[in-house]
Amino acid sequence: MATTTATLILSSADVTGHNFSMTQTATLTKAASSTGLDEFTGITSRKYPAAQTDTVVVADSIYVDTTVAHKVYIRNTSTGNSDYILVELEGDVIIGRLYPGDWMFIPYAGTLDVQVTTIATNVSIEYGVFSQSTVS
Amino acid sequence: MATITATINLTSPDITGDPLNLSKTSVLNKAATATGLDQFTGITTVVYAAAKTAENIVAAAAYVDTTVSHKVYIKNSATGSSDFVTVELGGSNVLMGRLYPGDWCFFPYDGTLDIDIDTSAANMKVEYGVFSQSTAS
Repeated sequence: MATTTATLILSSADVTGHNFSMTQTATLTKAASSTGLDEFTGITSRKYPAAQTDTVVVADSIYVDTTVAHKVYIRNTSTGNSDYILVELEGDVIIGRLYPGDWMFIPYAGTLDVQVTTIATNVSIEYGVFSQSTVS
Repeated sequence: MATITATINLTSPDITGDPLNLSKTSVLNKAATATGLDQFTGITTVVYAAAKTAENIVAAAAYVDTTVSHKVYIKNSATGSSDFVTVELGGSNVLMGRLYPGDWCFFPYDGTLDIDIDTSAANMKVEYGVFSQSTAS
């Protein structure tokens, strides 16, 4: 099986009274297993010519669900600072807004679609899913 | 205002036919501005003596909402491979996904729904934190 790692680095010199720096690395494995995730969509890049409403970027029907350790990555690759991407789970369950340059990396149970809504034309996005082929 | 950066590195030599090496850095700004987020909870570390159900870790009432650019970090710091943290959104506890030991997540938060977790076993360690803006843009 594949070996995939996800590293998060958070740092700030001034958000608290002292330097803050944190690094976390996860090896992406199947649920309750030391076997690596074995599926990957690749990173999809899109530029939407028109504003989008509840556009599905991750369809739950494609994935096994619940006892899984899928991961979803999404990034707003637009420029400027105002054209956000609203990320929701199916049923208008709002996760939050990605402003230009922002990214997210979440666990995904495979039970609900992941959808995006944009407010402007020519908003750019990239996304990908790391997943397991069978439920553990 | 503060300057906070968040970097993700995704790497794999063998998940596809070509090596994956993605690195992206975001400067965490207030919604639709170039001004940095100005609030941080710090990183909270909790060891739950018993398994938890719908344990609230981020309360929407504590944050301004909607036109915001808050960010949430959660990590399952348990050891082994089986004890998972379930991340849920809102009063209906809509399932986002499971964090297995060592897994972390980082995502935008619009301040309208609580974030709860379930833990699958006793003595699980979880860490979490919120970067947020003091007023909606």
